Amino acid sequence: MPFFDVIKWILWKDMLSEIRSRESISSLFFFALNVILIFSFSFSVGQDVMLALMPGLIWVAFGFTSILGLGKSFLSEVHNDCIAYLQIAPVPKGAIYLGKLAGNILLMMVVEIILYPLFMIFFNMDILAKIPSLLIISFLATVGLSALGTLFSILTVQLRAREVMFPLLLLPLSVPVFIGAVEATQGALSGDPYSSYRHWIELLFIFDMIITIVSFWMFEYILDY
Amino acid sequence: MPSLIGTKISHTYRFFKALKEVSIELQKGECYALFGPNGAGKTTLMKIFATLLQPTLGSVSIMGKDSVQDREAARQALFFIGHKSFLYEDLTAIENIEFTIGLRGWRPTLGEIKTALDRVGIGAYASQKSRYLSAGMQKRLSLAKAILARPSLLLLDEPYASLDEKGIDIMNESIRDFSNQGASVLISSHDRLKAAEVAHRAGTLHNKGLKEVPITELANALF
Amino acid sequence: MISASLRGKLWKWSGVIGLLSGLFIFIGLFLGLVVAPPDYYQGEVFRIMYVHVPFAKASLLSYITLFLGSCFYLWKKDFIVDNLCHAAAGIGVFFTSVALITGSIWAKPTWNTWWTWDPRLVSFAILLLILIGYLMLRTFVDDKRKEATYAAVLAIIGFVDLPIVYFSVEWWRTLHQPMSISTRGVSIAPGMLTPLIFMMIGTSLLVSYMLLIRTQMLYLRHLLEAKQGGLLSEESS
Repeated sequence: MPFFDVIKWILWKDMLSEIRSRESISSLFFFALNVILIFSFSFSVGQDVMLALMPGLIWVAFGFTSILGLGKSFLSEVHNDCIAYLQIAPVPKGAIYLGKLAGNILLMMVVEIILYPLFMIFFNMDILAKIPSLLIISFLATVGLSALGTLFSILTVQLRAREVMFPLLLLPLSVPVFIGAVEATQGALSGDPYSSYRHWIELLFIFDMIITIVSFWMFEYILDY
Repeated sequence: MPSLIGTKISHTYRFFKALKEVSIELQKGECYALFGPNGAGKTTLMKIFATLLQPTLGSVSIMGKDSVQDREAARQALFFIGHKSFLYEDLTAIENIEFTIGLRGWRPTLGEIKTALDRVGIGAYASQKSRYLSAGMQKRLSLAKAILARPSLLLLDEPYASLDEKGIDIMNESIRDFSNQGASVLISSHDRLKAAEVAHRAGTLHNKGLKEVPITELANALF
Repeated sequence: MISASLRGKLWKWSGVIGLLSGLFIFIGLFLGLVVAPPDYYQGEVFRIMYVHVPFAKASLLSYITLFLGSCFYLWKKDFIVDNLCHAAAGIGVFFTSVALITGSIWAKPTWNTWWTWDPRLVSFAILLLILIGYLMLRTFVDDKRKEATYAAVLAIIGFVDLPIVYFSVEWWRTLHQPMSISTRGVSIAPGMLTPLIFMMIGTSLLVSYMLLIRTQMLYLRHLLEAKQGGLLSEESS
């Protein structure tokens, strides 16, 4: 089916480039590590206070890392004007969006999976049993951030002020993701039953659905103005 | 049915008028050479035909499909080689071709890709990352993509740029092959000598529009 | 989209609309600030409601105009509608800023804090950021058509997201901060309703007036650019 083939081609191309250059994943990982280290030094509080702050810290770290990573989604396409070829390729443009989205989600999830154990180590927290729920929450939040970020990346990638405009556009609109992710992570880390933080997961899910669908639809207009 | 019909194409960037009422018609198998001074609007016109830009006025029809309304169908029929290489630097020549042709809906075999690369003379660099290819080799790689894409309309913006003598000969041979196979070719070039070798028709673009020049007259003027 | 004769009539009427809006606002402010009784609980400071609420509603009106205009632009690519969107965003910044400032001034004596995480206030702050981002995006894009399309996409995504922002902040707030006095629950004495209605009508007229004037300004600039590019014939449609 041509539509899914396009998604596969885009994903293949991006993953191959990333595996060969390892440029994004290393810069994202070290950036997130830096954020965690700075947090460790900035807050000299007791363990119980640290546990209360943890969901917020995790999502500040992931949030900033996402801004760095998502902002570059289409940067590889601007070089050598590859974006022009994507525009004139006889394919549905929404499939290009989904391909890029899948690549972004994959990249961010890899970074997050590496970071959770580091959080455990640096902040001396035993969260091994909670990793599955944490990963599900991370996945939903990452989908939401990536859906918005992929769209805003192509909006801003060719602008002079790309590095200012991208976070300026992304952060206000991703407030629901951060609220949902922090609250759900809080619930999961405290060991609360799922029912107590279920509606935050639902919020993330609704956000993901609506924003992905609208962005998918709008992408066509951007590539082919 | 003509492969390409351009009707009174005008195009204006924000304050600057690039094209004024350009009309053209290309039949199957014809090769048309487009000349004109710098700033005449050749690249703008090529981009409009490649559907990268929508003309502010006028219309373009490719294989009978309107370039704005029936974009996808029009794009299936054409292939564009421009100034930029459209290459992903971390991918090899073969992988770049697989991606480009893959987006056009089919998968050439490794044998077909290698044949095309040999045809343009970079077979030895097939598995090199395209970051290490020189500008001339990148141009040849674009030509290999075009050969595999088998378009009905081939648009070449400065095809001879960066190519050495052998490369230019390969380019012209390929253009002749395209014409013989029934594809239409539109070349925009400063190299009148080389373009005249393969063109059936020619025209000059200036600020009043496109003026067709008989190819014999062009050949005579060169000598 | 809009015929030239209708446009001509709208420009002529804009002066009337402007005058009417001024009249309504003047009456509304007079009634609200001078005539109406002070609130039982909040006293004189409650009077700021007569500015805050209508301006907030006007800001939403601008944003809805921006959204509908953006949808229409993506559908028909009509440049006058794009000018309308650009105008609506700028006007939206004005009304949203006033709504936020008056909201903050209201909060201080009432709840002893300059800022509350009231979902409406937060949503307005985010709306302001979206509108500023929208205007900045328009400045940075070079090509006219690209600018209009990118801006329309941004407006649509922002509009779809804003309700989600509102609800997420509301849920979050009910969890972490008990509900303080909500203006929704306050019953309005008849003496207070009249000035409010005047102000609502007045600000709606003001939005319309400002939209007409600013759209006209942007459209004339667009015509000027088209003429310089030698495409005046395109605009006569």
